[in-house]
Amino acid sequence: MKKQLITSTLLILLSAGLMAQNYVTRNGYIRFYSEAPLENIEAINRQVSSALNIETGEFVFRVLMRSFNFEKALMQEHFNENYVESHEYPNATFQGSIANLSDVDLTKNGTYNITVDGELTIKNATNKISQPGTLTIAGDQITGKSVFTIKLADYNISIPSAVSRNISEEIEITVDVSLKKM
Amino acid sequence: MNKWIKIFLILAAMGFIGAAAVYFFVYNKPHTNYEKAKPDFEMTAQALYNAFANSQSEAEQIYNGKIIQIEGSLDSVEEADSLVIAIIAFDQGMFGPEGIRCSMLENHSNTVKQINSGTIVQLKGFCSGFSGTDVILESCSVID
Repeated sequence: MKKQLITSTLLILLSAGLMAQNYVTRNGYIRFYSEAPLENIEAINRQVSSALNIETGEFVFRVLMRSFNFEKALMQEHFNENYVESHEYPNATFQGSIANLSDVDLTKNGTYNITVDGELTIKNATNKISQPGTLTIAGDQITGKSVFTIKLADYNISIPSAVSRNISEEIEITVDVSLKKM
Repeated sequence: MNKWIKIFLILAAMGFIGAAAVYFFVYNKPHTNYEKAKPDFEMTAQALYNAFANSQSEAEQIYNGKIIQIEGSLDSVEEADSLVIAIIAFDQGMFGPEGIRCSMLENHSNTVKQINSGTIVQLKGFCSGFSGTDVILESCSVID
C-alpha cells in the first residue's frame, strides 16, 4: 500500500499519457562537496532514482541519504546521525521541470543548455531551486548534468561552532544521471 | 626547575600525546567490513521486500542501517559504470524488474555475474533504505 503511494509520486509526473516518452534510471550519481579551511569533504551517491517525462519536461529525483559514501567512516556516521538524521529523514527529493524545454531538439543528438526549476526537500525542509544544467541527447539515452550550491541552514542542518572550520555552510552539489528510455 | 613543575609538564605532554593519538585513531577509523560482519538479520528476500512494501516507515525503523543477509532467486545482474548490481525481483514496474537491488563489493562482482538467472542465492549487505521502487542493499557479498 505504502509502496503504491510512493511509486505514484513518480507515476503522476510521468502520466502525460500512454504515449509519453519517459526516461528513467536507478543508478544516478550525486556528489556533494564541502570546501572549508581545515578540510575538504566529499560524498558520493550512485543509487539515485530519477525519472524524466521528456514531453512535459517534468522530472523527479529520489535520493537515499544513507547511500552517500564518504572517505572516512567517522564523517559518514556524523553525516547520518547528527546532520541529516537519516534515521528520521531517510530520503531527499528534487521535483520540478525543465524551464526551456522548447530549446531542446529531441530528434537531434547533441548537448543542450537547460534551466531546471524545482523544489528540493531535505530533512522535511523544501526550497525552490532554479539552476542551469545540460541535457545530452544520444539516441535512446539522455544524460542530465548540473552543478549548484545549497546552504545547509536552508535545510535545517546546523554546523556546531566547534567544527565550523571543518564544514562549509554552502555545499556544492553535482548531478550526473544517464536516463534510458522505458 | 622545580620538581613539581617538571612532573606537571611531563604529565601534560603525555596527556596531549594520548589525546592526539585517540583523536587520530577515531578520526581515521576504518569503514565496517561488510563482507566479514555478522548480519543483524537473516531472512528471505521476499520477507524483506514485503516488509517495505507493506509498511515502509515501520520497515525503515527496523532495517535501515542494518546488515541483512537475504536468500532469494536471482533475477538479473546489471552493470552501471563500475557498479555491479544483483537484482532479486518481485514485481515489474516502470523502472523494470523491482524488488531488492544489491550493489556488490568489487571482489564479489565477478562471482555474482557468473550465477545463472533463477539460481537461489544468499547475499549479505548494508540496507540503505527503500528507493520508492526497490529495497537497496549496498556493499554486498555472495555467501557460499
